[in-house]
Amino acid sequence: MSAIFPESVLMNPLLASEDVGWWTRLWFRAKASTFAGETDAIYNFIFWVSIAFFVVLMFLMVYWGIKYRRKPGVAPEISPSHNTPLEIVWTVVPTILLFVMFVWGFKGYLNKAVSPVDAEVIQVTAKKWNWTFEYKTGAKSRELDRMADMDVPVFALPLNRPVKFVMSSDDVIHSMFFPEFRAKRDVMPNRYTTMWVQPTGKPTHTVERYDNGKKLRLAPLDSAGNVITDMAERAGKGYNLFCTEYCGDQHSQMLARIAVLAEADYKDWLDYQGDTSGVPLNVLGEQLYKLQGCATCHSVNGAKGTGPTWKDIWGETHKSTTGASATVDENYIRESILVPGAFVREGFSNQMPSYQGKMKDREIRALTTYIMSLNDKFKQDAQAVSDEEMAKQQGGSGSTPAK
Amino acid sequence: MAAHAAHAHPHGSHGHHDEPYYASKGSLWKTVMSWVYTVDHKKIGVMYLVAVLLAFFLGGVFALLLRAELYEPTKTLADGTVTGQMFKGWTSAQGEVTSNNIYNRLFSLHGTVMVFLFIIPSIPAALGNILLPLMIGAKDVAFPKLNLMSWYTYLFGGAFALWALIGGGVETGWTFYTPYSSTTNWGNVTAMVLGAFILGFSSIFTGINFIVTVHKLRTPGMGWFDMPLFVWATYATAIIQVLATPVLGITLLMIVFERVFRTGIFDPALGGDPVLFQHFFWFYSHPAVYIMIVPAFGVVSELLAVHCRKRLFGYRAIAFSSLAIAAISFLVWGHHLFAAETPAANAIFSALTFLVAIPTAIKVFNWIATMYKASISWNTPMLYAMSFLFNFTIGGLTGPPLATLATDIHLTDTYFVVAHFHYVMMGGTVFAFVGGLHHWWPKITGRMYNEAWGRVGAVLVFIGFNMTFLVQFILGTQGMPRRYATYVEMFEGMHKFSTIGTWVLGFGFVIHLLVFVLSLVSGKKASANPWGGLTMEWEAASPPIEHNFHREPLMTHGPYDYDTAVPPHCNEKDYPLPTPKPGMAMAH
Repeated sequence: MSAIFPESVLMNPLLASEDVGWWTRLWFRAKASTFAGETDAIYNFIFWVSIAFFVVLMFLMVYWGIKYRRKPGVAPEISPSHNTPLEIVWTVVPTILLFVMFVWGFKGYLNKAVSPVDAEVIQVTAKKWNWTFEYKTGAKSRELDRMADMDVPVFALPLNRPVKFVMSSDDVIHSMFFPEFRAKRDVMPNRYTTMWVQPTGKPTHTVERYDNGKKLRLAPLDSAGNVITDMAERAGKGYNLFCTEYCGDQHSQMLARIAVLAEADYKDWLDYQGDTSGVPLNVLGEQLYKLQGCATCHSVNGAKGTGPTWKDIWGETHKSTTGASATVDENYIRESILVPGAFVREGFSNQMPSYQGKMKDREIRALTTYIMSLNDKFKQDAQAVSDEEMAKQQGGSGSTPAK
Repeated sequence: MAAHAAHAHPHGSHGHHDEPYYASKGSLWKTVMSWVYTVDHKKIGVMYLVAVLLAFFLGGVFALLLRAELYEPTKTLADGTVTGQMFKGWTSAQGEVTSNNIYNRLFSLHGTVMVFLFIIPSIPAALGNILLPLMIGAKDVAFPKLNLMSWYTYLFGGAFALWALIGGGVETGWTFYTPYSSTTNWGNVTAMVLGAFILGFSSIFTGINFIVTVHKLRTPGMGWFDMPLFVWATYATAIIQVLATPVLGITLLMIVFERVFRTGIFDPALGGDPVLFQHFFWFYSHPAVYIMIVPAFGVVSELLAVHCRKRLFGYRAIAFSSLAIAAISFLVWGHHLFAAETPAANAIFSALTFLVAIPTAIKVFNWIATMYKASISWNTPMLYAMSFLFNFTIGGLTGPPLATLATDIHLTDTYFVVAHFHYVMMGGTVFAFVGGLHHWWPKITGRMYNEAWGRVGAVLVFIGFNMTFLVQFILGTQGMPRRYATYVEMFEGMHKFSTIGTWVLGFGFVIHLLVFVLSLVSGKKASANPWGGLTMEWEAASPPIEHNFHREPLMTHGPYDYDTAVPPHCNEKDYPLPTPKPGMAMAH
């Protein structure tokens, strides 16, 4: 059975940042926002009221079921089929308890629904099947983690400070759910919706410099607050972001990881994410491929998905659904990103949302260069384009080798 | 029917008045035609019964497959297994099938088939058709031809659903949320939605028929409060069916318009509002939840009374709470939208939702109080009645965390909701339906089933069901979202446990199926009243004659007067009457 229950059936391994008892761990895993405690308290109140009713009712059912089981030829006693005081009691008592639940639940809900005025605003864009957070500096996350066989973005949030999410969808209805914060709100295609959280507890991550201090990345912390140094142990730490409104094929892989950072780390992380100028085009392209949701539909290994694979696509000539033909080059890629419906390749349907206004010019060039590099025949060219652009950035003083 | 072939009454010499309703008409052709053109409520009910059982089987297979898919976090059925290849082949024009797509179609079809083809018609159209006229001492329903039309409408709608299924199915979920459902180009959403639209008419026809039947065709002397509680429940259900189903019809038609004519009611790209759809949809579908559960309340009331041999505690409270639930059910649809709507709307719908909990709780208290000082037989129907009370109490008590706003925000669209409504829909309605099927099996077929194996099946179904769904509450509170083809590794243990539960559950149902088939082939002949029931269907023969009763039956006792009346066709030796204590009120 150990193969079936690798850890244990109910208990999940401890998270780095939590400080909760086994009861909360069993039911909720972790607790990490200002209003999570109240939600849990209301849940526990309802739970114990329910347990009390359930135990009494089931005890009576089984006890009477055995005590009054049928004995052949024996007449049952006559017993009342109506008892006004009893019936009043069992109507009034649940009514009072339900009223308490309603009032307490409404109060707890208002705490979730009304955000503090000083909350830092993060713009959230949902689309099939990817989340994007745009921070107040304009920065977007470039960090990745692995969840359910997908590379998903990691979003950092500041500890002990309220953040407000202003959310919209590019296509269908999605829903943003943070189980550890007990927070959820639908994301609509035709209006903005908002939610807010204030992460509490301990930070889940810190930031560390590597590659001679040139680069910066998140480093998960263990329950004692120490950096986890073993790279193999680093995946899967932090909190979860799930999409909870069914949105099609990759709904279950529309995920993100949440890292809660101390204030100074958060600022460092944000500054670093905001500045992509030092990242060579082909490297940035690969990051964007995973972070902007391209990976959910386009493979890079030749496998067919919702959209065409990018492997060896550069330089090929394809027919469209309307019979036109075109060769994949810079213009082709640019048009596909900004006006996806203009040329839909034969055998596929027009599923892709437009990225007009969502990508900077350099980001489009980065993706183009990355796609170029996926065809072995053009790999050298892609490298040269990247190097040349890097060199120009640094004032033409020689090329910087990428990776 | 096999049972009939085995012990057919001699034909011709006797008048057909004494023959069972399903008796052969001489030739095979004539017999088949006697079913095709029948206006007999029992035959229509039996045809419905066969159809809903087939739908239940189909939906059950989808359930087993989707749980199998969830056995591993990301590996899927599509990877290398024979089933996977089969499902990949089950494709449509939109190109290659991803493994997530297979799961998405499985859960959508499971929901659609179970809701529209199985649960909604299960108790009202199948058991209700057979029993309602018998219970009120009538010859048939008020509009027998409308009844037949309802059956053929169901078949027609079912054919649409089947067409949608074979052509690749749907992957929108049974809720068809816009703009996903109005824009997805996968599968046969239009055909499936039209199927559900047509099935709605079948439901409305049955509802109208039952309302008029209850009002006009009760046997002389049967007042409203002499009606069995199954009749009350079916009556309350019929009212919801007639009032709510048209809204679903209009809403589904609007999806078809949206897809075909691009009308722009729901799709924001065309200027519509997707949340409007959710309001329309749940304005029907929440009352529909009570179309599914209220008939089960009626069945369980009958099972408890007969197998506890006891007047039901609080008859009027149970009857009125059915009506109260039917009325309040129209005012609570907004609780499906707590994550989508604004605080003011949510506060109102949260409060109204709590109102439903009160009559529901009262019912459970009454049922359990009925067992006090009763004479309880632990047979299969009673095991199902007690399993119902166990499951439905859990299903009911997990309602308040979802009606409470602060907790619902966390729990909505997670496995907590999945577990909650399966405890009500399956643990409640399906358990009542299977219990009722055993209870009325002798009446419908004229044969007894094997009691010992019936109990084995009941215990396995109970264990399998609770293994499958109890753990899903914790999956939900820990944050596992519903409708996920893949999941993060931390949920693996509970998902595996749940999947193993479905195997036990499926095995239990296989035993029930064998018990029923064996009963038809070689079951003991049933007496007219094998359980000692007092309601009027037990006065008729088992199986009843075509016109139900030889003459209009008279009300000589109330439906639950176990203290004072010996059940029809029964001996007082087997059902001794209690001696009244001096001064004890015997008023009804």
